[in-house]
Amino acid sequence: MVLPFLIVGILASFALILPGIGFFYKGFKNTHGWILSLIALLASLALLLTPPAYSLIQDQTISFTPSLTFDSLGIFFSIAMLMVSVFVVFSSYEFMKKEGNIAQYYSLILFSSAGMVLIAFSMDLLLLFIAWELMTIPTFVLAGFNKKAFESNEAAVKYFVLGTLSTGILLYGISLVYGLTGTLQLNEIFKILSQRALVDPLSLLASSLLIAGFGLKMAIVPFHMWIPDTYEGAPTTVSTFLAAGTKKAGFAAALRVFLIALPLKGLLNEWSLTFAFLAIITMTLGNIAALTQGNILRLLAYSSIAQAGYILIVFAIANGGTKALELGVSGALFHVLNHAIMKSAAFLVAALVIQHSGRADLDYYNGFSNRAPLTAFNFTIALLALAGVPPLSGFWSKFLLFTAAIEANMIWLALAGIVNTALSLAYYALIIKRMYIDEPQDNVKMPQPLAYTFILTLSTILIMFFGLFPDIVISYTQEAAKALIP
Amino acid sequence: MEPLINYITLSAILFGIGVYGLVSKRNALRLIFSVEIIINAAILNLVTFSTYSQPPTVSGQTFALFAIAVAAAEVAVGLAIIMVAFRLRSEIDVLDLKKLKG
Repeated sequence: MVLPFLIVGILASFALILPGIGFFYKGFKNTHGWILSLIALLASLALLLTPPAYSLIQDQTISFTPSLTFDSLGIFFSIAMLMVSVFVVFSSYEFMKKEGNIAQYYSLILFSSAGMVLIAFSMDLLLLFIAWELMTIPTFVLAGFNKKAFESNEAAVKYFVLGTLSTGILLYGISLVYGLTGTLQLNEIFKILSQRALVDPLSLLASSLLIAGFGLKMAIVPFHMWIPDTYEGAPTTVSTFLAAGTKKAGFAAALRVFLIALPLKGLLNEWSLTFAFLAIITMTLGNIAALTQGNILRLLAYSSIAQAGYILIVFAIANGGTKALELGVSGALFHVLNHAIMKSAAFLVAALVIQHSGRADLDYYNGFSNRAPLTAFNFTIALLALAGVPPLSGFWSKFLLFTAAIEANMIWLALAGIVNTALSLAYYALIIKRMYIDEPQDNVKMPQPLAYTFILTLSTILIMFFGLFPDIVISYTQEAAKALIP
Repeated sequence: MEPLINYITLSAILFGIGVYGLVSKRNALRLIFSVEIIINAAILNLVTFSTYSQPPTVSGQTFALFAIAVAAAEVAVGLAIIMVAFRLRSEIDVLDLKKLKG
């Protein structure tokens, strides 16, 4: 139980120290911030990955607060999200080279990471809300970090207005849940709600408010408007952080709240139909909008909306029996990990190109393989994995999710997912065609700095490794799924 | 003691006012006010439920204190962002934010 506190403590203390050092030590450079934040993040990751962490899970005697759990689900999510933070920080070595206020930049990323870790472990709505805000508020600043650029500021304003709206709605939903049950502990809420035979309108209102509140972060379709604008306008490393990191934290929170506390008995059918409907419009609209984009950042933003639709399948099958739920949760967790890796890789390629040329339009990628062969190869792998092409990791997680939908007797949902996967292949393949077949406008070699190349190659290796040996991850996600299924 | 329903109605009305403000106003500051009203409606709910629950629990009131602090932090960040927006374009009409589109 001490471990989540320890990790949050490490991250928060480094985050607090960094601006102080930046203030008093005038020679503070990007490298210093980079090293300090990498130390904090890698130390936290090491703590999560070492065997002692797992022996602590079994030891229930040292739990001293019911608000915080230490289960494999939380560990899984924190590993995925901290990995994204490491990717982002590592490539910021190049991307933020010429920016000012660099200590604050790294500090804000560390604060937000601490919030994400706390979300993954919280079992109490109060703690969840605080962690949610700890994650969200720094990202408002990060989105507007390039304060002299109109785009960055516009991205921050749009993100801020909808982000605070999501806070307000979430808080109202939580207050109604508290009013209904008189407690904030997720387990207690489940006990009290499952004793009720009837479903009153207030609990319906509460759960829809919570869906809206979490949905704004998870990029579910009626609440997705800010996503493309913010991802396009914010500094690209920050967009990476938002798309691959904080969105996953939204899923971590939603999985805990919707699967543990809120499945309303007697309303399960409508509940799963609602989520199935949301999943289908989310993936369809995301994919169709992505097809028409001419800007790589907007394309990736819409594709990340579509990917959120696939993960939403797990909420739709809550009614389908334990086996379907186990498959679905394990698939969703696997997809969260995959999406974190694939999406960071894709966004970081865009960051590299923007830093080099200032261009984000797709035309610039014509003949990209001649100018930057290794980056083009890594980008191709990431795009193919996003599309779900078989030997790569993205295939297995989608396969698990669709199998779960079939297991839960929702064949139409699986079918919608498969049709969407085919649809999404169109625009991913179009980029690959541009990179390898189309004639380039010029043949000038593009520099491929080590900071990007290292991260991109690492993600390619991870994508291939998880694709060839999916059972390593799946055995772990099945373990983690047990935390959610009683 | 006032009946519970009065407080809940008040809070629902506040929530409605906040949502109305969000969809109808164009000034970024007014949007912040609207969101603040929504958050305050939720806080009122929390305190009410905390007082009226049987047996009385304090977690709602604790939550209210935290929520007030969090809302303050959020507004501080938001005002800073809006101030930057004002410096860049000398107005804060959100409908004029049209650079990012597609």
